[in-house]
Amino acid sequence: MPPAVSSLPGIVHPIEPAARENIHAKSKTKAEILREYRAKMGKSHLPEHLLLRDVLYLLQGISGKYVRFSDLEGGSSDSDHRVVFVDDRDFIVPPPTQALVRKLSELGHLYSRVATFVNERGGEPSIGMIEQSLCHFLQGQLTEYYRMVAVLESQMSSKPDGDPAVREDSGLTLRRLDVWIDEWRLRMRMMSACVENCKGTKGGALVSLIHANTNNGDPFVRSFTDQLLEEVSKPFFLTLQRWLFTGDLHDPYEEFFVAANPDLVDVQYIHPATNLSGDGGFGGGGGTETIVEREEGEVGGLKLWESKYTFRRGMLPSFVSEEFGRKIFSTGKSLNFIRYSCHDSDWVATRSKLTKAGETLKYSDIAGLERSIDDAYRVASQRLFDIFFDKFKLMNHLTALKSYLMLGHGDFADRLMDSLGPSLIRPANTLYRHNLTTTLETAIRYSNAQNDSPDVLRRLDARMLDYQHGEIGWDVFTLEYKVDAPIDTVLGPDSMIQYQRLFNHLWKMKRVEGVLTSGWMRISSGAKTFLRVPEYEHEWHQIRVVMAEMIHFLRQMQAFSQLEVIACHWEILVEFLAKKEGDLDALIEAHRTYLDHVVKKVLLLHPKSGKEENILTQVREVFNIILQFREATDNFYNHTLAESARRTENEISNGVITGVAEASQRHDSTEVLSRILRRIKEYGIAFSDRTFAIVAALSSHPEQDCRFLAIRLSFNDFYKPKKDSART
Amino acid sequence: MPREIVTVQLGQCGNQMGSVFWQRLSTKGILEDWATEGGDRKDVFFYQADDEHYIPRTIMVDLEPRVINNILTSPSANLYNRENIFVSKDGGGAGNNWAQGYSAGERTYEELMEMIDREAEGSDSLEGFMIMHSIAGGTGSGLGSFLLERLNDKFPKKLIQTYSVFPNQQDGDVVVQPYNSLLALKRLVNHADSVVVLDNGALSRLTADKMHLGDPTLRPVQSFDQANQLVSTVIAASTQTLRYPGYMNNDLVGIIASLIPTPRCHFLMTSYTPFTMDNVDKSKSVRKTTVLDVMRRLLQPKNRMVSTVPSKTSCYISILNIIQGDVDPTDVHQSLLRIRERQLATFIPWGPASIQVALTRKSPYVSANHRVSGLMLANHTSIASLFKRSIDQYDRLRKRNAFLDQYKKEKMFENGLEEFDESRATVEELLNEYKACESPDYISYVRS
Repeated sequence: MPPAVSSLPGIVHPIEPAARENIHAKSKTKAEILREYRAKMGKSHLPEHLLLRDVLYLLQGISGKYVRFSDLEGGSSDSDHRVVFVDDRDFIVPPPTQALVRKLSELGHLYSRVATFVNERGGEPSIGMIEQSLCHFLQGQLTEYYRMVAVLESQMSSKPDGDPAVREDSGLTLRRLDVWIDEWRLRMRMMSACVENCKGTKGGALVSLIHANTNNGDPFVRSFTDQLLEEVSKPFFLTLQRWLFTGDLHDPYEEFFVAANPDLVDVQYIHPATNLSGDGGFGGGGGTETIVEREEGEVGGLKLWESKYTFRRGMLPSFVSEEFGRKIFSTGKSLNFIRYSCHDSDWVATRSKLTKAGETLKYSDIAGLERSIDDAYRVASQRLFDIFFDKFKLMNHLTALKSYLMLGHGDFADRLMDSLGPSLIRPANTLYRHNLTTTLETAIRYSNAQNDSPDVLRRLDARMLDYQHGEIGWDVFTLEYKVDAPIDTVLGPDSMIQYQRLFNHLWKMKRVEGVLTSGWMRISSGAKTFLRVPEYEHEWHQIRVVMAEMIHFLRQMQAFSQLEVIACHWEILVEFLAKKEGDLDALIEAHRTYLDHVVKKVLLLHPKSGKEENILTQVREVFNIILQFREATDNFYNHTLAESARRTENEISNGVITGVAEASQRHDSTEVLSRILRRIKEYGIAFSDRTFAIVAALSSHPEQDCRFLAIRLSFNDFYKPKKDSART
Repeated sequence: MPREIVTVQLGQCGNQMGSVFWQRLSTKGILEDWATEGGDRKDVFFYQADDEHYIPRTIMVDLEPRVINNILTSPSANLYNRENIFVSKDGGGAGNNWAQGYSAGERTYEELMEMIDREAEGSDSLEGFMIMHSIAGGTGSGLGSFLLERLNDKFPKKLIQTYSVFPNQQDGDVVVQPYNSLLALKRLVNHADSVVVLDNGALSRLTADKMHLGDPTLRPVQSFDQANQLVSTVIAASTQTLRYPGYMNNDLVGIIASLIPTPRCHFLMTSYTPFTMDNVDKSKSVRKTTVLDVMRRLLQPKNRMVSTVPSKTSCYISILNIIQGDVDPTDVHQSLLRIRERQLATFIPWGPASIQVALTRKSPYVSANHRVSGLMLANHTSIASLFKRSIDQYDRLRKRNAFLDQYKKEKMFENGLEEFDESRATVEELLNEYKACESPDYISYVRS
């Protein structure tokens, strides 16, 4: 408050007037001599009351008669140059008075700066609300200031300058003025500083700037700033309240610390209910397209969630910690998401829960603010989790992705492989999609997959990737799981690509597994009946040993992928989900981490760029070697079978040797045989070499789990680096 | 594709094992409770009858009616398909004589095959046969041998897995069991794909140990039941992954292919832990079982269901641990590392080998007071000592030409006892191959 001018304390003069009279009478003081001298010279001191009037003008930012503001405004803050004294022939202003005036003029200078700001900004339509309220506050302060100036003026004019004694007693002097406006000087300085700082900043950043002054030891400064903040932050809190409790961003001047992406602000999801309406489950449609493909240009849930609103740290007022800022951001985002991306009923339910928390927020109640934020955050996140899990069955989808794309439903995968296998060895361009989908349906019906919910099953789709000339079905077949809004917020398109990658690898593994077990069936189990050619026993034995090595390799890879990687990371994910802590971002992040880990470890990716797929490539080569090996053993098998049959025939015909023709035939067949056996041997060696290399590469892998795979593969130290001693 | 498995239970022992096994899989003798549970695959072992009851795909064969009659008067009687029960009309049994059992098989071939064919045709994609029998007596051993030969002949592309009870080596109640065993062993070597060896001696030792029976007179009756319980537990656990499909081990061939690298060495031993009986005081379980505990105990010889005499060179050809229950997958990882560090298992030198682990769900209907339980299926070279003993016992009997009259009565041995010698040769050959497995030179092993 400005001082009540009417009750200005009387200033007591140190010397009684009577005493002064005495001194006067006795002799002239040096000052009187000087004054007289000056009068004689025609230049006397400017009377104080004139100067006072000028100073009062100066206080209002107006140049006076004898003192005026210097024109060179510039940036010079030097108080000496702020005002200039007009050269006058009659009067001079002594330097101490000049200094005093200069000191007083600072206030006028500050005032004019603030007043200019208020006038300039106040009229502009484009300035932000925070600034508007700052102007409002400043205006209020200026009014007070005017009032004070008016009182001062009345003080001056009420005392006619007749009797100097009286005037000196209780009138206005420059020095008194200095004392009286002292408080205002401080105030004005701060206002001016605000004005100065607020150039180029706005919104939350402006609030932060002002808030920086609250940490001041001077109680006056502190309380002034608090007042200022209380006022200035009102629009901020209004926006905050709206955002926090309704998820609505109302921020016409972009002052809030949440920014909306103008491209996405109007985008809304198509509700799943309308998107997938009238579908009778997977079986009903006979494999028809039940999920509408996303239209061109339509925005996926994840992108919408991630980029519809962004967090502007610069706009976060410094009295709100970043942690709370993030919470506020996420709360509003969640609410907005529930409101616009889920069903209306969800929103109604959420809002009713939030009403309790919806008290007025203001600066002076930071504790209440934090409480409200926490409450709202909890309610909103909880609701969002509930909606995702209860309504949109996120868990079912995650499980389905694990069961189908990661082949967790082994019986389903086996069945699919069995029925697809024969057609997948054909060229890719002979495959028809409707055949694939029919097979998929059959595989579902004949495995435990049939127990899965129809909503999950109808999202499954079998299709071919784009193929190039010469590729066969195995190269291009893929299983797909379709997700729609708003589930695609968590299971975004990038995630689906990763799942796809996993599927392709695991599917390949499964294929090799199938090839190996059927091969084993043939050469080990079937051996009892078919292969009765004792001379080949040795070769077969070696083939079986190599095949056992391959089976071991493959099963370890599979067990590793499934047990060490997928199951372990799944466990972590499920644990996180069960806690239902954090917001949608945390959920997305948890899923992303899970998927990243799984992809990295299942595909044995190396973190070093350029070397990522080194091991994976080798593993794929091993897979191919196994396939070729199997082919070669099949040839040998047929050969042995033919030989076996021939012998049986010979036995029946009592071993009669039938001449030269047969001998040459046998010669041919020996050549064929040696070629087959050579190939088998080559593949066996190639397999072994690769495996050694893979184990060596894995043992020095930076990922601990991958090193563990090396241990698994070489559990009995069979693949110890000392290659020569380990194998002969 | 359910990959069905048709079970054939033969003789007294086989039928008892079977009935305990089926009771274990079902509740209250009827499988209807299962119909609601989605995670399992009932089709492998069961099919649904018209009244929607689940009926096991099993054929019960015995040459004497006692055991089967007992089953058919028990509460679980209505579980079975009556058409699949074969009891010899004369009811005389096989007199604990392999040869009698074998020739009974020849006589009843048509009838048996009709049942088997019916079951095979009733399957969508039959994966193989599971035979439960003992090799000591007459029916399981003799008729079993005959069936093995015929099944192998008739279904060459189907797997044959047997759960074979080997006789108690010290005091058999059948004097001629060395003959019977050896003759049956030859068929197990030549015609089965995998034989899960259950050693009666080890079984009774295990049950006696675990039951802490001070009084040996209690043994015969009680421990017999308990042994059957144990066997059914083993069969249930080893088929767990087939019944509760996961990522791996969903078919028998996958499991067997990883355990049996070379076709003749297909005799698997099992361990199971923790083993408790229904009537054992529940407070006996000492502490929380961890995966490492289970995996370590599985490697201990005392938990094996086979009494073998391991030598210094004996080693594992392969191991599959099937672990059930509430298991954190990371524990498996740690356990494997620990076992390797401490070198708790020795493996073959001629190829890669390791402990495979399969985690399976626990059946929600079998209550157990253990958090984790495990079964080990292992191909171990010390099984050779079992064959060695069989041969020794046979030799001792044969040297005296004891008890051969009964055999000579049957057609097979009318003209001589070459069959005995051949069987002995086959078993010895197997013994030698298992021995050879312990050396790195096994890669170039040639049967003599």
